[in-house]
Amino acid sequence: MSSHLHYFGMANGCTAVALPFPLEQVMEQWGQLRLCMVRELPPPFIRDEWGYLIAFLDRENLQGAFTQSFGDPVATMTGPIRIMERPRGLVAVWLPNNVSLLGPLTMVLLSLTGNPIWLKGGTQSEDMSGAFLAFARQRLPSGPLKKFLIEQVRHDVFDREDPRHREMAAKAQMRIVFGSDAAAEAIHDLPHPVGSVGFSFIDRRSEAWIEKGATTDALLRDLIKVFAIYGQAGCTSPRRVVLLVNCPSEAVDLRDRLANLWPHVVQRQPAMHIASENIMAWQWAAALGWDARLTQQHGAVLAAGRIEFPEFNASMCLRIVSGSAEQALESLPRNIQTVGYGLAHPGQPAWLDLLAHSGIKRLVPIPKMHQFGPVWDGHGFWRQAFEEIEIG
Amino acid sequence: MSQLLERAAYGPRNEVLFIQEMNILTRHHLDGCPLYAKVWLGWQPATDVSEIPFLHVGVFKHLEFKTAVPGICYERTLRSSGTTSGIASRIPLDTKSSHFQSCSSAAILKDFLGEVPKPLLVLDSSRSLQTRGEVSARIAAAMSLRPLASDISFLLDEAENPASINWARFECSSGEHNDLLVYGFTWMLWLAWATQEKPPAIRHALSNKRIHFVHSGGWKKMESLNVSREQFNHDLLQGLAPGSSVLDFYGLVEQAGIIYPLCEAGFRHVPVWADVLVRDPLTLKPSASGNTGLLQLLNTLAWGAPYHSVLTEDLGRIEPGPCSCGRSGARFEVIGRVPKAELRGCANV
Repeated sequence: MSSHLHYFGMANGCTAVALPFPLEQVMEQWGQLRLCMVRELPPPFIRDEWGYLIAFLDRENLQGAFTQSFGDPVATMTGPIRIMERPRGLVAVWLPNNVSLLGPLTMVLLSLTGNPIWLKGGTQSEDMSGAFLAFARQRLPSGPLKKFLIEQVRHDVFDREDPRHREMAAKAQMRIVFGSDAAAEAIHDLPHPVGSVGFSFIDRRSEAWIEKGATTDALLRDLIKVFAIYGQAGCTSPRRVVLLVNCPSEAVDLRDRLANLWPHVVQRQPAMHIASENIMAWQWAAALGWDARLTQQHGAVLAAGRIEFPEFNASMCLRIVSGSAEQALESLPRNIQTVGYGLAHPGQPAWLDLLAHSGIKRLVPIPKMHQFGPVWDGHGFWRQAFEEIEIG
Repeated sequence: MSQLLERAAYGPRNEVLFIQEMNILTRHHLDGCPLYAKVWLGWQPATDVSEIPFLHVGVFKHLEFKTAVPGICYERTLRSSGTTSGIASRIPLDTKSSHFQSCSSAAILKDFLGEVPKPLLVLDSSRSLQTRGEVSARIAAAMSLRPLASDISFLLDEAENPASINWARFECSSGEHNDLLVYGFTWMLWLAWATQEKPPAIRHALSNKRIHFVHSGGWKKMESLNVSREQFNHDLLQGLAPGSSVLDFYGLVEQAGIIYPLCEAGFRHVPVWADVLVRDPLTLKPSASGNTGLLQLLNTLAWGAPYHSVLTEDLGRIEPGPCSCGRSGARFEVIGRVPKAELRGCANV
């Protein structure tokens, strides 16, 4: 297969990226697919998910994977080539049953690396990766992306006993596992090439930290949006909001503002089982001492309380506590992933120092909590899809 | 004490007395159960059944509610099967409530099965009785038939294995009796009795026996086995003496003592010491008669913990008008569990 070289400028020279297709044309084709997507909403996607996927395919966002990893693109060599990046080889991706958009998003990002991809979908779920792949293969006009998705992307659905797990692990130069700790451990324990790399995107939790001065209606609407799409099922959805002020009554006020804004932001009627579960969660929370309130039509439970109160969990419950940043840090869950912020000055050295001593993997503005990218869970996994060749 | 429990199960209702007894119970639990008191802060006595506070059935899976006041003696804990969520509810049973519950289930069942005691054969293992301090939902349901039993035997060698049914024990326990009660969870009755090959001698013996099958536990597993109610009843009754019957009852561990058998007309009747409401899950407002919503079950028997009024995860509707079976009072239909859709996420739930 002939290589197409693409150049990216760094301070001390150039990086050449060898791809099996002209990147420009592949980007163009993702753009063409966006236009088709605007006119349709195929199952099993819901409107919010489809909208997010359309936004994700924005050219600037896709280009960002390269600029973030290799620098700005340049038309020709602008200096000595220091490094060449070439596709590492087959990338195997294991997607569990209830995984959300992360499947299609990972596939899109990996398509830009030129590596062959083998996706394993869940057996009991609405398979979003398979559905999106089929949609793209069908709707794309002829071109390098369509050819790549047809010839280089394999998608299978099989159960845990299937011998293809072993085959995937044995053949892949890169393994990406979404799922439980045990599932990831089992996959990485399968025989695999010595030089291959593996990434585990496992059970994670997220939360939002907000300074009192930042609690504008716009920010609270964003908070509701990022929470409401998946509730506690999303690893990047906030399970807890920490209002960074030492006054419990402020948490109650924030809870009330969120409850009042809720019907203006979330207009869909909750499923009956969600409403029922929320009634349960409201009583569970109240029994534990939380000041809990159901939103309109019982779409969520918002509970204000102290940072030290015992946890209660339901898919659509959000705990709101007040406390200092130090208290928030001390009470972080072991598997913290994203902290979404509403802070006046997040780049201040005090915050950076706090981050340096925590397990937080992402500190991003609240609206960007679900934003998937080439760096995830503390790993620059996308860049690792390339082999790096040093050129002296 | 419940004055209502002294009345005929399906006689004329006394709503004023029912609300009065429920208000006394609610106050008792608010005073003796701190967790419950936190849920229903500022409660005022009800003037209508819909104002009686409830606990959602799911909270019993996460918290242990106990109304620990003088005079309440706990003896065992009732444990639900936890098949749907993987987490079991735990209901502490006290001596006083157990007595009322036993009286209640006896009165209800006698109305359907008659007063003459018969040998009770349970499709479970006797080892299920030996769990110290805890009683499973299956055993609790079987034991609700105890007041109608002249003797009790367990027919399975292994509690979860339908193929372990011991026909020799059946032969021995049924003996010369021609009227028998057989209880099992619905799916177990199907797999252990209806679909098992019976030895020729047993088949012959059964042709002379009048068996009253009683089952509970819901229809979910039968749906997955693609078995209709008609086929279920037909296969169970095949080869038995005339007069044999099948009785399906609905009940919850969280409503011990109150069982709702299906009447000949296909409805479930509410005894005078209990009540049923249907609530809209999106507003919690009581639904009008005939509309579907979440079932709320109430009774005047529960003193050891506040499970006297429970909002279930079952959908149902109240049927207006009198029933052709002749029983008076409210009647309702259970439609099934609230349908659940898969939650998308990051595989962390």
